[in-house]
Amino acid sequence: MSDDPDIRRGARLGIAFFSIYTAFYAAFVGVAAFGTFAAGAPSGGLASMAALGLPWGVVAGFGLIGGAFVLAVVYAVIAGRGGRT
Amino acid sequence: MIYETTPLAVAVFVAFVVAVLALSIWLGSRARSAGGYFAAHGQVGWFVNGIAFAGDYLSAASFLGICGMIAFSGYDGFLYSIGYLAGWIVALFVIAEPVKRLGRFTLADALNARFQSRGIKVVAAVSTLVISLFYLVPQMVGAGALVKPLLGLPHWAGVVMVGIVVTGIVATAGMVSTTWVQFIKGTLLVAICTFVVVLILGRGFAVPERPIPPDTVQTYSKDASGTFVNGAPLSADNQLDSKLRRDFGTGFGSIASLPGGVSETGPLGPIEYIRVFADSTVTTWKKGSDPAGSTAFSPVERKGSDLLLPGGSPTFKGVRADSIASKLDFISLMLALFLGTASLPHILIRYYTVRDPAAARKSTVVGIGAIGIFYVLTLYLGIGAMTSGALDPTDSNMSAPLLAKTFGEGLFAVISAVAFTTVLGTVSGLVMAGAGAVAHDLMKDAMRMELSDGQQVRAGKIAAVLLGIGAIILGILFERMNVTFLVGWAFNVAASANLPALVMLLFWKGTTRQGVIAAMAMGLVSSLTWIMLSADTLEKVYGYSAADAAASSLVPFSQPAILTVPLGFATLVLVSLMTRGRGGGVATED
Repeated sequence: MSDDPDIRRGARLGIAFFSIYTAFYAAFVGVAAFGTFAAGAPSGGLASMAALGLPWGVVAGFGLIGGAFVLAVVYAVIAGRGGRT
Repeated sequence: MIYETTPLAVAVFVAFVVAVLALSIWLGSRARSAGGYFAAHGQVGWFVNGIAFAGDYLSAASFLGICGMIAFSGYDGFLYSIGYLAGWIVALFVIAEPVKRLGRFTLADALNARFQSRGIKVVAAVSTLVISLFYLVPQMVGAGALVKPLLGLPHWAGVVMVGIVVTGIVATAGMVSTTWVQFIKGTLLVAICTFVVVLILGRGFAVPERPIPPDTVQTYSKDASGTFVNGAPLSADNQLDSKLRRDFGTGFGSIASLPGGVSETGPLGPIEYIRVFADSTVTTWKKGSDPAGSTAFSPVERKGSDLLLPGGSPTFKGVRADSIASKLDFISLMLALFLGTASLPHILIRYYTVRDPAAARKSTVVGIGAIGIFYVLTLYLGIGAMTSGALDPTDSNMSAPLLAKTFGEGLFAVISAVAFTTVLGTVSGLVMAGAGAVAHDLMKDAMRMELSDGQQVRAGKIAAVLLGIGAIILGILFERMNVTFLVGWAFNVAASANLPALVMLLFWKGTTRQGVIAAMAMGLVSSLTWIMLSADTLEKVYGYSAADAAASSLVPFSQPAILTVPLGFATLVLVSLMTRGRGGGVATED
């Protein structure tokens, strides 16, 4: 990594944001792979779980897409305040 | 199915393509130097670059493929939307700014910034060409598929048209014109899709005039003597959906029943639309064969809520199976989509078109916004197509254009023309990445050819023409093949070959020249080898039956990223540790 303190700070910020999003994405993939079906059929609780009356996959999908944009904007604002160019 | 060509469709299509071309060539007419040709002088504004990211990234696979997959199989297509968008997080938070700081024209520039190694240049250029090739083929095939219904032209004509137009775009002004084509395409795609979704929500859902009985069968066969539907020759009056429309007032893909037993919903809000769909029953169509050997389509009623769960398509059916290998295949593909985006050469070169790392960061945020909006829309477009009564059960890629056709010929023409410009934008970026790899990385740097600025530009243009010809040939050869899966493979190869080297170069000072070369070569070769030995390849490329492919496959699942990405990282660390202090050099970022 660079020795420039501004660049190092920016890289740390990026890694922190990346870690947050990766945790949510990994949880989503894990639930889709292991938590939705058992023996080919919806596995009850999780498969029927919903928010706003929507299936969990739709809520999670919209959340991951919208959340990516929100995180991106927050990151850009913080990084911009740091004066990095 | 037979699609009628209308003068309106042809006029709209020609107007779109000519306008896009004229504008891009005019805007790009001042690119003379290598910096202008390969990187648009680094002067593209961050907002324009952000939308151009969307234009570059949202390929035919995204637009036609995902909408078609949702229309045919439900939620699984949306999994691609989620994975493709999530990949931009890696690009923004990890890759964007350092790549901009380190590179000049190509991916190899960034990887080689500290080493000046011919080996890195060669392996990065080869990686760029292989990934671009995987990505190019489905775009070209998609172009051929589009012109058939729109212009009544054969597949090869569409492929040749795209090849010639793209070669024209790239050969005239390189990255400047490519940027503007991508900007225009990105804007049009998001705007038109938003408009169609507004129309979908305004229409809501309705059940057909008469219910479709479960024993209904529509057959389709094709041989040397012609194409037959339900035993009679295919004609304008005897298409695959003609009988359905006569008997039930709808074609393929419709609502069987709505919640509360109502016959139509009227306009719905975006949340209500999904909720009503989840509580409805949908008539989908199962593909099989009849005793005479024809392809037979029979109706299957499915709950909307089931169609909004993963695992409904052949691609992701492993999610519903109990086998660990099937689940690993799914996880591996989602990993490849997540890590592959930030490793795609045609995406990375867009970072060299902006002024500085801050502009790279801002343009990525704009790109995430535009791409995110589009991917949310894909769910509505797919569900709208699934329930539109307008599906062509023999061609899922036509779902979005045929959905638009239910709102009028004009919208069909516009959507098809936008889809065609979608292909143009992405293919331009791919050819540009390939031209840079050949002219800048291989000829100038790896082969140490003495090229002036102008000669480098000429070499890039010649490479673009050759790549365009190659793309045309491959697009024609692969006509009959379902090639959407190639994009998934491109993500696997990109994540395996490029990401370990990029990340370690940025974050580990111990990275050596040999480590980078070994990791890239290992990632490239291991992911390609795995793919070539997989059941998917045996079935889709070599023509094995599904059962034979599964029995003959030498690897337990088809998507390699879950193994080959860690292998790339491990190779880099191991080789770097072995070569430290032996002329390997170490990497630091400015």
